[in-house]
Amino acid sequence: MTSYGMVIDMERCIGCQACSTACMEENNVGLDHIWNRVLTVGGDEIDTPAGEYPEDGSDGTGTMSLDYQPTACQHCDNAPCVKVCPVNATYTREDGIVEIDYEKCIGCRYCIAACPYNARVFNYDTPQQLPTEGHGNVPERPQGVVGKCTFCTHRVEEDIDPACVVACPADARIFGDLDDPKSTVSQYVDKYEPDQLLDELDVDPKTYYVRGEMTPGRPQVTNELEGTKKKYTSIPDGGDGA
Amino acid sequence: MSSETPERTIEGFGTLGKAWLAILGVLVIAGFGAWVYQLMEGLVVTGMNNVFAWALYIMLFVFFVGLSAGGLIISSVPKFFHSDRYDSIAALGVLVSFACIVVAGLLVVPDIGRPERLYQFFTSPDFRSPMVWDFAIVIVYGVFTAGYLWLLTRRDLAARGSRLAFGVSDTEAGRERDKRLSFWAAAIAIPLAIALHSITGWIFALQIGRGDWFSPLVAPMFIMKALVSGLALMIVTAVLADRYTNFELPRERVPELGKILGVFVAVHIVYLLGAERLPHAWAANFEFWAITSGFLIGETAYFWLWTVVGGVLPLALLVVPSVRQRVGAVVAASVLAITGILFEGINLVFVGYDELYIDAAPGVTTGRGYVGTGSDIWTTVGAYTPTVVELLISIGLIALGALIVTVGLRFLPIQPGEMLTRTERETPSGDAAVANGGTDSKAD
Repeated sequence: MTSYGMVIDMERCIGCQACSTACMEENNVGLDHIWNRVLTVGGDEIDTPAGEYPEDGSDGTGTMSLDYQPTACQHCDNAPCVKVCPVNATYTREDGIVEIDYEKCIGCRYCIAACPYNARVFNYDTPQQLPTEGHGNVPERPQGVVGKCTFCTHRVEEDIDPACVVACPADARIFGDLDDPKSTVSQYVDKYEPDQLLDELDVDPKTYYVRGEMTPGRPQVTNELEGTKKKYTSIPDGGDGA
Repeated sequence: MSSETPERTIEGFGTLGKAWLAILGVLVIAGFGAWVYQLMEGLVVTGMNNVFAWALYIMLFVFFVGLSAGGLIISSVPKFFHSDRYDSIAALGVLVSFACIVVAGLLVVPDIGRPERLYQFFTSPDFRSPMVWDFAIVIVYGVFTAGYLWLLTRRDLAARGSRLAFGVSDTEAGRERDKRLSFWAAAIAIPLAIALHSITGWIFALQIGRGDWFSPLVAPMFIMKALVSGLALMIVTAVLADRYTNFELPRERVPELGKILGVFVAVHIVYLLGAERLPHAWAANFEFWAITSGFLIGETAYFWLWTVVGGVLPLALLVVPSVRQRVGAVVAASVLAITGILFEGINLVFVGYDELYIDAAPGVTTGRGYVGTGSDIWTTVGAYTPTVVELLISIGLIALGALIVTVGLRFLPIQPGEMLTRTERETPSGDAAVANGGTDSKAD
């Protein structure tokens, strides 16, 4: 069995929003929505730290801290959104990815109520894109359906890492098969004991966050999915892969 | 047995009646127009967003599901215990129940993003979803109340020669048979009503993702809310029907119903609401008076809308026997109790959405409000104000409910005058008769 998951190294994350932008471009996300948000763990505003400045230079009294927490759909094993969907529009794929069938979605928004991460968005209006004809490698969703991160299933099916993973300049994101003990994600989960957001809710997300100790990261020298055999491929829009 | 044609509750609509129908008609048409507009524009014309994703329609859905309880309870519980004490309002009660469940069911439709796909409930249901359970129970309950209403009125319809009798004839044996049938109908109605309100509660109570909804108390409280608001609506409707139509509400029923309402309010507001609040207040505070104030006030400044308006005031009116004798006092208490339950339901939706588990800046995209570079599409709290479209659609559907009750009063034999006189001739039956489920005993 395959169970795709992701490890995000918060020590490596520099808060550049490249993953968020790449996600919008790749997935044709409307301008009212962001599937992949880079949250500031610190002050009350984006890019502000929590804590106090030191009183006198470097006298050790400063308590400033600032972290970034990239947050999108956590692809839970015990996903509340899958359980509440009345029409099986939200479902868990064989490979563990939680995906939405936009043909079935009736737009009741029960899944939005169910998701503790607020990872889901609803097309209240017809989505607007710039350029207006849309972009990326996924068709735009109609008005009246719910959308969210898909771990870029259209890329994963072609053995290519999700757009956010490839876009990360700090190598903070690692995507792979949690059921394969030799995959980098599995090894990182074993070695760094990363935590899951809101793990007290027992929804068992497949997204893990490394805190405290920086990982070596996984430099993205190719477009290939981690763990797959190296090969020359092209990304779905026809660009040159390798 | 030959019988006189029962008196019609509304013989025909006079000036006042026509004006009432006209107002309701205009409201229904305005609501329908607003819904067509919403269908064309999408849910962007509502006040909802990605954080506050269920709002007025769902708040009112919950409210009307609750309101539908009263009539069915007041008609079925006495029948189940072989009492004919409340026979005079049984049919009216079931009519009000039916109207409320129709309004509740229809209130869900404008909340759906793509109502044209609702058939997916039949082609691709997921039986893990509480919404599928609720969809099923609302339909079953609606069909059941319609059938129950017909069962209670079909002999009188036949006596009138109405086509709505569907071939049933008015015979003595038939009426006796219907009496037995209505006992079994009551035996089904009670668990059905409990299931309806519990499942509607579980839509919220099962959601661990919305912290304040996730409570085992929600479903039992939904039952109490339904009993309070449903019975209160029943009282108001019966008094209004008594005043404006030929319907006769026996005067002595009013304080009796008021007393039952008082018990329901006490159990709900004094006991269940207290039982819900004490653990939070006790755990979150240290000093005795801080615990007490947390217990009395709770976590919101609007607590008085349901504890004072919906609890203390109605209780004060209902608890004193001499005050309870006044029809005005019982009606006022009923209106206050309904108001309290309405605001309690609104509050339930707010407490689920107002705070986010993960509220780090910049937060969540609202899904609306992009108007160009520099637009703020972020929020870290849930906020909601209904729009005119939402209000028009909701009021239109409520008017439709009132229309159903009005038309029902006109065309259905709501006043079982004939059955009443017949049962009054019967002698009280003993325990044996009660045990075999065959005969009604006289309760008064």
